[in-house]
Amino acid sequence: MITPDTAGRIGRRSILATAAAAAVAPLGSPFIIAARGETPLRIGMVDPLTGVYAAPARNEVMGAQLAVARINAAGGLLGRQVELLVEDSANDVGTGVQKARKLIERDHVDFMIGDVNSAVAQAIAQVTAENKVLHVVSGGHTDTITGKDCHWNVYRVCNTTRMEANAVSEVLFRKYGRKWHFITPDYAFGHTLQTAIEANLKRLGGIETGAELTPLGTSDFSPYLIKARAANPNVLILLVQGQDMVNCLKQIVQFGINRQIPVAGTQQELESLEGLPPDARIGTWMFEWYWNQPGVPHLPEFVADIRRVNGGKVPTARHWFGYTSVMTFALVAAQEKTTDAVKLAHALGGFELPPEVKLQPNRVTYRAGDHQLMLSAFIGSAQAHGGADPEDLFKMDQVVAGDSVAPPVADTGCTLTWPT
Amino acid sequence: MSAAGRTGAPVPLAIWVLLLLAPFWLGPVGGYTALGTRVLVLGLAAMSLNLLLGFTGVLSFGHAAWFGLGAYGAGLALKFVALSTPLALLLGTLTGGLAGALLGALIVHRRGIYFAMVTIAFGQVFYYIAYRWNSLTGGDDGLRGFARQDITLGPWHLDIAGNGTAFYYFVLTCFAVAVGLMALLLRSPFGRTLLAIRENERRARFLGIPVELHIWIAFALSCVFISFAGALYALLNNFADPNNLHYSLSGDLVIMAVLGGMRSFWGPLLGAAVFVVLQDYVSSLTTNWMSFVGLLFVLVVLFFPRGLLGILRRQGTA
Repeated sequence: MITPDTAGRIGRRSILATAAAAAVAPLGSPFIIAARGETPLRIGMVDPLTGVYAAPARNEVMGAQLAVARINAAGGLLGRQVELLVEDSANDVGTGVQKARKLIERDHVDFMIGDVNSAVAQAIAQVTAENKVLHVVSGGHTDTITGKDCHWNVYRVCNTTRMEANAVSEVLFRKYGRKWHFITPDYAFGHTLQTAIEANLKRLGGIETGAELTPLGTSDFSPYLIKARAANPNVLILLVQGQDMVNCLKQIVQFGINRQIPVAGTQQELESLEGLPPDARIGTWMFEWYWNQPGVPHLPEFVADIRRVNGGKVPTARHWFGYTSVMTFALVAAQEKTTDAVKLAHALGGFELPPEVKLQPNRVTYRAGDHQLMLSAFIGSAQAHGGADPEDLFKMDQVVAGDSVAPPVADTGCTLTWPT
Repeated sequence: MSAAGRTGAPVPLAIWVLLLLAPFWLGPVGGYTALGTRVLVLGLAAMSLNLLLGFTGVLSFGHAAWFGLGAYGAGLALKFVALSTPLALLLGTLTGGLAGALLGALIVHRRGIYFAMVTIAFGQVFYYIAYRWNSLTGGDDGLRGFARQDITLGPWHLDIAGNGTAFYYFVLTCFAVAVGLMALLLRSPFGRTLLAIRENERRARFLGIPVELHIWIAFALSCVFISFAGALYALLNNFADPNNLHYSLSGDLVIMAVLGGMRSFWGPLLGAAVFVVLQDYVSSLTTNWMSFVGLLFVLVVLFFPRGLLGILRRQGTA
């Protein structure tokens, strides 16, 4: 199985060894970082920069970097400059936990942000709780983060799956009728989302004609779509995300299913709509945040600033999540004049985001009972071409205030235990 | 000729000194204790795999399954059975070890590519069970809601739950016991027989050695060791998720073993250290960190089939 040792090749081997050493040499540089001064205030951010969530994760980082740049340009926080340390969780829990420990133990970060992947976010939350570091979950949607696995030090910016379901259920019921068919990604997120919508559908008096469970990363949706069409529902509810959403919508249009059955769903992202051909940009959806809201103060500056660093492209909800996560720390620390995690975590309960951060019409607060941000839901429909701007691919019909769609704290299963 | 036998005093001695003093030197060179713990756990996993790969000559590409079963076993034990770290380790090891021993009996009749493929298939079976069984395993969100517990033996109390350094030494002790057993095993007549099978299976068969039985025992023992590593991994993260069972982790473990040197006892530990440290540092600098690991792997496989430890040995003896 192995090649026998060969003599007389020392020359080639030394060259190779030197090449290998040269390749590995740049790894030495992080060691120097350890010797830096500790004057700046440090914010750690763990996000899956590689893997299936790379695009949303990079956008979150971009938003966070903008927030840091703005804070530093305005003189820093508590008289100190702010530094953002970004680590890649590679969409893996073990790596994510490791990176969180690295940021806390070695870099002594004051705050933590992350992760897009719910599983990684929950695992990191355990580490930050153990080490008493204030933590904002920027992009993981699973209910339990601010539900039965909530922590005193963990706040969440993005919606829960329950909030998403509640925001759209009634609208879709009024608009399309009572017979629904689901295309659901076959993993925990999809299941919870479907269960939440089913509960609403039942309450409203509708019926479910069936649900197609599709494995993550499905490229051929035709068998599911044929079954869905045969069930003849009033509306097809798509709960798939990311690349699956793109593939599914493309095939719906290809088969002409959208001419017989309208398409709708919960969370839609600008990243997905941009990945679709114009004729496949169809359906009624919910956006967690949208860049084109006429008359909202401070929004044009935010859009312009992101465009400058994003190759001219507009911000997505993910940019806003990252931005808001950093701003949350900055605002509450400036208000309380401390970086003490317990004091700040208490102060964030009921904390209201100011207009220059919330960038949306309704009141946006962190709920004290479960630490969930009450952000608005933007409901509307996808459009093939933007009007004034080619990236304006979503036509907003209504903005629903977060506290009207969030289930009461008592129903979330969250009991906060504070350190003594 | 066996690597275990050939291991002279200097290398293991240096390794033990480095490991024992790790919490003291890791900080000054830019590391942190939890990184050391991770190296130990993944190193133990790679060494368990190498029991098969390097010393029996069969390639299992689904060993993450037993690693992950150990992790889930430990997690479920802490969550549902009792708040006891030793019990969690025991149940985790048993879960993966038993499953490995049972399925191993089916697997060992295959050789070469078929062996590798069957191990992948069984591994993916467990991956999808963990991924889909939401009510028990938490599905894609992972198993949470458990945490390692402090160990109290009479007046002696070990704070492994809150103290990272104490946990490191706890893991190092577990590692030492497991590695000691592995070394004893390889020095025993049983271990020598495995080498004979690796070198020439047909000749071993002619000598009257029950080859399947030996491979099966080696497979089962390897599963026991790797489940133990998996259980430690669950304690390290206080978390278990389906990726612990996925074949990509199996691939990583094979890379670690080959990178470090699969014909040497300590090679996989070195491979794991290089892999984990590269992942940790390079991924902070660039998102393309896997290219660096890949490049190093290609260089090692092409030009240094004995692995990194093989290079060091060569220079030591030259």
